[in-house]
Amino acid sequence: MTGFTTTAIHGIRSKENPHGTLRVPTYDCVSFEYEDSKAIQQAFEGKRMAHTYSRISNPTVTHLEQTLRLLSGGIAVLAVSSGMAAISNTILALGSAGKNIITTKHLFGNTLSLFEKTLSAWGLEVRYVSMNDMDTIDTAIDTDTCCVFLESITNPQLEVADCNAISVVAQKHGVPLVADNTLMTPYLFNSRKNGVDIEILSSTKYISGGGTTVGGIIIDNGTFDWNKSAKLKEYAARYGSMTFIARLRQEIYRNVGACLSPHNASMQSLGLETLSLRIDKSCESSLEIAHFLSRHSTVQATHYPGLPDSASYDIAQKQFGSQSGGILTFDLKNIDYCFKLMDSLNVIRRATNVNDNKSLIIHPWSTIFAEYRDEEKCAMGIRPTMLRLAVGIEDIADLIKDLEQGLEQL
Amino acid sequence: MNITINGEKEHLTGQTIVISDLLQIKNVESPEMVSVQLNGKIVNQERFQSTSVTENDELEFLYFMGGGENK
Repeated sequence: MTGFTTTAIHGIRSKENPHGTLRVPTYDCVSFEYEDSKAIQQAFEGKRMAHTYSRISNPTVTHLEQTLRLLSGGIAVLAVSSGMAAISNTILALGSAGKNIITTKHLFGNTLSLFEKTLSAWGLEVRYVSMNDMDTIDTAIDTDTCCVFLESITNPQLEVADCNAISVVAQKHGVPLVADNTLMTPYLFNSRKNGVDIEILSSTKYISGGGTTVGGIIIDNGTFDWNKSAKLKEYAARYGSMTFIARLRQEIYRNVGACLSPHNASMQSLGLETLSLRIDKSCESSLEIAHFLSRHSTVQATHYPGLPDSASYDIAQKQFGSQSGGILTFDLKNIDYCFKLMDSLNVIRRATNVNDNKSLIIHPWSTIFAEYRDEEKCAMGIRPTMLRLAVGIEDIADLIKDLEQGLEQL
Repeated sequence: MNITINGEKEHLTGQTIVISDLLQIKNVESPEMVSVQLNGKIVNQERFQSTSVTENDELEFLYFMGGGENK
């Protein structure tokens, strides 16, 4: 078994590559031709290994999926059109009207909106707990619970849940643990070894690199016994460990139609090759900036799991090791200070994305969470004084200098 | 060795073969795209390398790439 980066670059070598191209071609096509009618019948019946239609599978997309399967250690991977598509496809596969999902209010804004506004209108109940309180999670789960859902680092609260401890509670009830691992990726956090059954990634972020394309990934870690799932038991008798991916591929994913385009898959496969290099740089700079901000007199508070005074420091060290991701938040005196700092920056850009090569800053209260009332935002851990900085891979001296000159103007 | 895959008779050299090797022979590059039944029983993916196929065995390979209903 090769290392992470070698696997990301060389892991999959297709036998069917007549020109010997070093990169898998971008198969920009919708459908695929067969030699005769029997062959196409077999393909449609699933009795032949063949692509039929690019909403269902495509060779360029499959290459990305296979590489991520190797890197994650999961048993099956499905690439979709966005991180939100990954979450919605997963919940549609696991839940239904009358079922409930156990989660926390400290989630990415669109994820919360999906649960609270979109899916609850279709009869899925959302139960909020603190991911640090195992007793509350234990009490909240019942026979209608379809999954426990969390983020490996919450965005933008930057809290870290103890996935192994939560997994023990979920397993006791026969409920899968689903984790959005976007901010860490399989490079920094092996979800399979930490009790997570289904891993979600927005590949738009670190994996894309450079903010080139939108995409999402669903990884089945192969750790959950689907015979315990009332909804998927019927599938389990036929598909065994492949139950979840079978339900996705044969029904949910195919019918919802949130497929990843071959172009986006190609760009993200390219991004994957340099993932570890970019993450190492981003994490190193994040820690240095966190130290800089925490010492600055104008900054009221700095939040980063890699700072020893963070409430999540111990569990972050245990689960992630010495690297705690590429996002930090900090608080200034008021909104005016936040806006003034943002407007004074020259290197760091004002935009909503994370884990781009470029460092990006945003005021979550007035943007990502703008659809919520003030008291709802407070309940989600969003403060009007908070700025989120997603640290890119620029020279650290330039980033510090940019922040320094901006803070001096306040 | 004579076996049946998806209802069609096939002849392979040798007395036995594990499922992962059989998938390679059949050019299945994506094991996460297929479920395998051996003599009517599902074989989980983690057992592909340790489960042997022998004379007269019947296999069903069901790929998740089809466009129709996989009944």
